[in-house]
Amino acid sequence: MVGSGGVGKSALTLQFMYDEFVEDYEPTKADSYRKKVVLDGEEVQIDILDTAGQEDYAAIRDNYFRSGEGFLCVFSIKEQESFQATQDFREQILRVKNDENIPFLLVGNMVDLADQRQVSVEEATKRAQEWKVSYVETSAKTRANVDKVFYDLMREIRSRKMEASRQSNGKTKKKKDSTKKKCVIL
Amino acid sequence: MISVAKMPRKTNLKKRSSLLCAVLNTMESPAKVYIYHLKKTDRVDGYKKKMSWLLRDLKTLDGKSAEKPTTEFDLHFFEKTFKWSASTLEEKESFISSLWRLSHRFLMQRPEFINVLEKLLEDIKDPHTMREKSQSVDDISMEAEDYQAISPKEESDLELLMSECQMAISNAELFTEQLSKQLSVLDGANIHSIMGSEDQVLNLMRLLDDGIKEAEQIEEKLDSYDKILANVKEQMEVMREKDSLMTVRNRNHQRLLEELQNLVNQLDLDLTHMQVLMDGDFSNATKIAECTIAAQALHRCMNANIHPSLLRMGAVEEQQKRFKKISANFSKTLIHHLNNLFIQEGNEIGTLSRTTPENKLPHHNRLHTTLVQFADLMLWLKSCNESVFQELSNVYTKSISKVYSKEISEFLEQNKQKLVNAKETKTKHAALSRLTESTTSLTKLDPRGRSGSVTSSELKTSSALDLTNRGAFDQVLEQVLQELEKLCIVEQDFCFKFFHLIDKNAPPEEGNAKDKDVSTGGGDGDTDVWVVRQNNSSSDGDFVTENLGGGLLQKRPTVTSEMRQINDEVRKMMAELFPQLETDLDNFLTHADRQDGLYSMYMLVRMSQHVTNSQDMGSYIGKTFGNCLIKVKRNFDRYIDSMMQTIKETKVSKKSKCGIISFVNHFEEFSTLAEIIFRGSERHADLDKAYTKVVAVIFDQIERVALEHQKTPPEVVRMENFHKMFSILSHLKNPCLENDRKEAKQRYTDNLKAYTVNLLGRPLEKLHASLTCVEARLSKGMKPEEIGYVVDFSKQELRKIIKEYPGKEVKKNLEHLKKKVEKKLCEEENLIQVVWHEMQDLFINQYKYYDSLMKKCYPDSNITLEFTIENVLQFFSDIAQSH
Repeated sequence: MVGSGGVGKSALTLQFMYDEFVEDYEPTKADSYRKKVVLDGEEVQIDILDTAGQEDYAAIRDNYFRSGEGFLCVFSIKEQESFQATQDFREQILRVKNDENIPFLLVGNMVDLADQRQVSVEEATKRAQEWKVSYVETSAKTRANVDKVFYDLMREIRSRKMEASRQSNGKTKKKKDSTKKKCVIL
Repeated sequence: MISVAKMPRKTNLKKRSSLLCAVLNTMESPAKVYIYHLKKTDRVDGYKKKMSWLLRDLKTLDGKSAEKPTTEFDLHFFEKTFKWSASTLEEKESFISSLWRLSHRFLMQRPEFINVLEKLLEDIKDPHTMREKSQSVDDISMEAEDYQAISPKEESDLELLMSECQMAISNAELFTEQLSKQLSVLDGANIHSIMGSEDQVLNLMRLLDDGIKEAEQIEEKLDSYDKILANVKEQMEVMREKDSLMTVRNRNHQRLLEELQNLVNQLDLDLTHMQVLMDGDFSNATKIAECTIAAQALHRCMNANIHPSLLRMGAVEEQQKRFKKISANFSKTLIHHLNNLFIQEGNEIGTLSRTTPENKLPHHNRLHTTLVQFADLMLWLKSCNESVFQELSNVYTKSISKVYSKEISEFLEQNKQKLVNAKETKTKHAALSRLTESTTSLTKLDPRGRSGSVTSSELKTSSALDLTNRGAFDQVLEQVLQELEKLCIVEQDFCFKFFHLIDKNAPPEEGNAKDKDVSTGGGDGDTDVWVVRQNNSSSDGDFVTENLGGGLLQKRPTVTSEMRQINDEVRKMMAELFPQLETDLDNFLTHADRQDGLYSMYMLVRMSQHVTNSQDMGSYIGKTFGNCLIKVKRNFDRYIDSMMQTIKETKVSKKSKCGIISFVNHFEEFSTLAEIIFRGSERHADLDKAYTKVVAVIFDQIERVALEHQKTPPEVVRMENFHKMFSILSHLKNPCLENDRKEAKQRYTDNLKAYTVNLLGRPLEKLHASLTCVEARLSKGMKPEEIGYVVDFSKQELRKIIKEYPGKEVKKNLEHLKKKVEKKLCEEENLIQVVWHEMQDLFINQYKYYDSLMKKCYPDSNITLEFTIENVLQFFSDIAQSH
């Protein structure tokens, strides 16, 4: 989970994990979650790394960007700055991962507060198209699209992995597919 | 004839010309009294009637004053009031008194006389005096009539007489003579006739005498008749007496006849009935029905309402004797028949149980339907001969209880076997899965995936397989409980009906019996015919909480004392019928519990469900289940205790790193499973209690393991395991565990910090040590400028230390640190990123702090670390990339 501070990364995560919405805001440093879900009939396990939005030095993020297999880049639709910040996150991720096609979703959160909207659907969609990723609007409060963003990202990660294993066609890779899949989302 | 009596009373009034008079008109009937106002006309002495009123219209007469003599007075009529003034006082008073008198004589409603002298009104108070008065008045008027002139007829007679004697006028002497002659002739004739009438008088006298005689004779005759009649009267009286006696006798005869008829009717038993009773044939339903009717008729006859004195009648006695004999004979055959049936049933065990389908208790519908036909006969028997009835029911319980005991123990044995089979396959599966697991681990594809091949195999098994197996146990258990419940309730209902342990106020069982048949057909899972039925029978949701002991609170519906009493009777019978049930069931449950402690959770939930289901029916099985529930609760407690014991005794491998301790993982499995089992059960409170106990133990034991473990630092053990516990408890979302959840979170963060701080001493170890001392000095009150003059902390010393940490060295140290973290932390909790993030953060903060400390203590000395913050960030990026 990446994005500026206070856009609702932890709220989305907790909603996805425990079906709960926490009103109180408490800045996250970094927290890790693990969940087993059934994705299209297949049991998979995902590790979610909920990261800090406020960070003095961007380089600190390098390590967990590096370990991430897919990213939910979150901004708040009622805060233009957070939307602008997604650009920096995107660039840093591409730099660290050195991969244009890394599984990535642009997520506009707090859609339940649409009356305070500052970021239009059009400009968000436009940016997503530029990046060739999808754009989804969510609400951690009402749980709207919460499952969707996680599942969509998991599917992307899985298809990427399948592709990779086909290309390498290595014995080891194949075996990995037969066991549980692991996705790491940052 | 109309006689007119006018009694005018005139009163001269002030107006000289007017008169008021009261007039009594008797021409009309009833007589009416008028008051006329007359006025003098122009003619002399002529009066004219000016106004008239009826006296009865007069409301009030006002005399103006009773004391003061006045001539004025008022007449109040209905419509008007007239004021008058009499010429004299006497006139007024006489007028008033005459009005008074008239009104008293002729009016019902008298006018009111006010302000009038009392004496005026008094003088006619006595009606006799009044009458006398009026009488005297009449006499006077009669006297006055004598002076009246001769009537016209007399006048004409006189004239005729005068004309006959024309000479009379001329010769008066002659005329007088003639007249006296005539007079003497007439006198003589008169005397003659008087003389002649003497004979007639004598004749008359004689006739009278005759008449008297005749009358005397008649009287005599009458007297004799009278005498005769008196005689007759006596005779008549005698006859009447006889007659009444006869009617009484007749009536008595009739009554006697009626009584006898009644008696005969009551005591008359139809021949066919008699025949039926003699035969005592119970071969089919119609025959039984016939017998029932006949028996009832016999019962009626025997208990006929006959006057006790009549019972002494020979015929009655004889009839009663006969009835008794018939009754005795019939009950003998009946008992014999039923006895045979019961014993036959008892002996048929083997054949019956074999024909029943898999895993079902054989039901005894056939027997019940056969026997229910005898229900009315049983009632008859009960009322006829209580002791025989009791004996019969004893025979029934004896023979049937044999059947039930055998069947139930077989049934439970069967299910026990099933459990053992399930267990065997389970262990096989488990072994298999463990095998595959180990092979996968051999391939080293996922070496961290093994959650430590540790611990007692009881707790640790492949969870997915476990669930299905335990679900199977749940099914078996439910099946057992359901079957037992069904059997017992059917039997109980039957006993109600057959042995009439309950009166007619019990709900009709017929419909329910059908329901049961339906549910036996279904038989799968929770076909809740029972629940529906339960709702029907319990009028409202009155529940009382009952303490079953061992802190086991059980909600159950309140039962009325009447119901209870009946239930006690039934329970007694049921206890006799199912002597082994409780022990058998207990054995089964103990057996299951030995198979797997986890089963106690299923048992607790299921049993409690069944207890609430059956309790309100006050059934025997409800009580039995209640007893078992207590034991099950104990088993559950024991299971939890053993789980805690296992947790306490858990040993962790000393060779590898700690990771998530097995009991934490097991708790996750346990809680997931328990939530499934206890979902919606009222026993969840028990589970909550168990949770808190177990969680507390786990927290303690995490601390123990953390201290014991040699390979992994205690902070890491705590951090990882509390993180896991926090995650599990967040998933559970149990309000009872909210505090534990918070505590887990707290301990996790605390240990995360402790671990990172602890580790961070390393990359710049000497600098860290030196600066920590500087810091200590500063906190003791040393001025920053003075630090440089302390030998140990001189600029040279510092430079020496800094020299030891060139950028390259620091980077190496950081890399080393990262590797260390990766080595100590387990994959399961995926906390490496978190820890490393914390580490980076802390390191940068430390760098900044050293920097500021050096700037403060060694100003202008230009001493800095040999690497900048940008270098540090670059190190981090490089480490990230190199991974």
